[in-house]
Amino acid sequence: MVQKRELIKGNSDSLLLCLLAQQAMYGYQIIKELEKRSQGYFQFKEGTLYPALHRLEKAGLIIGKWQMLANGRPRRYYHLTAKGHAKLSTERVQWQDFINAVNLILQPAEI
Amino acid sequence: MTTALNHYLEIIRNNLRIDLAEEKNVISELETHIEDKLQELKECGLSEEEAEKTCLGLLGSAKTIARQIYEAHSQGSWEQAFLAAMPHLLFAALFALNWWHHIGWLSIILVMVIGASIYGWWHGKPAWVFPWLGYLLVPVAAFGLVLLYLPKEWSLLTIPFYFLFALWWLFCIVAQTAKRDWLFSSLMLLPAPIIIGWFLTLVPDAKITAQTMERVNHFAPWIALSFLILALTIAAFIRLRQRWLRIALLIISGLLTLTTVVYYVGGKLDVQTFAGLILVMWGLFLIPPLLERWLRKSRRIYKRHVFSSSHY
Repeated sequence: MVQKRELIKGNSDSLLLCLLAQQAMYGYQIIKELEKRSQGYFQFKEGTLYPALHRLEKAGLIIGKWQMLANGRPRRYYHLTAKGHAKLSTERVQWQDFINAVNLILQPAEI
Repeated sequence: MTTALNHYLEIIRNNLRIDLAEEKNVISELETHIEDKLQELKECGLSEEEAEKTCLGLLGSAKTIARQIYEAHSQGSWEQAFLAAMPHLLFAALFALNWWHHIGWLSIILVMVIGASIYGWWHGKPAWVFPWLGYLLVPVAAFGLVLLYLPKEWSLLTIPFYFLFALWWLFCIVAQTAKRDWLFSSLMLLPAPIIIGWFLTLVPDAKITAQTMERVNHFAPWIALSFLILALTIAAFIRLRQRWLRIALLIISGLLTLTTVVYYVGGKLDVQTFAGLILVMWGLFLIPPLLERWLRKSRRIYKRHVFSSSHY
């Protein structure tokens, strides 16, 4: 459990950038979407989400904009910026290399 | 929203200490998140009380959230660090290049101090403006010095009024700054004991004579060095994220600079003098948080008063 938490903590920025690259979302929606897409594996602790979003916004990777929902309630939607897209592309390549390397160790090709 | 949730958001607000516009965004965002979560939990069959308890449990410590958001916002850019260090660098240059007796340079610096302070104050009070604001106290102090040169009767008559005005001015600036964050008040006041220390050394009888000029010339490189240390401290302060590191930096740097000034001027440093310097720095760091606490308490009492009068 601790290992899983550490894994999420270490990769929270990449996960958030990846989600927001597909669609602009607000905080509560991000938590739900992450849980749904990972089939319950990733459960972002609510209190850690907002500091992470603000950190990414301050770094210029995302930008928050207030928008009205259909029911008239305002929500702060986060959009990925051009800098965020560039960062995500680099991280995707790094992740892919990492996954390939791990797979080579876990499932060695039969000699 | 219930009292417990409002109290939770109030703790976050009190510990955020970020730009007011950003603070509003953070609180509104958390408010909407709590509303969504409460609705979801109630739809799952939880009572209002249970939903509230679960929601607060999931969010975690209010102080931790506030601290993490503060750290996300606190670090300034290198440009901001340079801008914040600039007034100290200008004063360091004034003494290092022996420009301190040129009225032209002094006027230029005065105009820059006033201009930067006004600009920063009306543009969201960014962190870099506070060191400039501190130097707004220098013309007030210089005006007090001029009063000493009036005929004796006039001096006696005007000085009490001057003291009242100077204290009122100091209180206004510190109170306004403490509303944003008491740490900025300490940042602003940091050069005060060092400038006062140099002043008492150079002008012990409060009268500027030819001897004073000689003394300033003699100490000019050391005065420049103390301003340079202040500039480096401020630049590091702006770049640091963690609050406790910022506090430690201001205390250590302020105390070391002041101790060096006293040691260099006096040629020795006994325990009593050092204890006195610690007391001066302690006061510098104790008054702003106490003032902030008092201002917040007054604001809470005022809000409660307005709330109760609107209900009766």
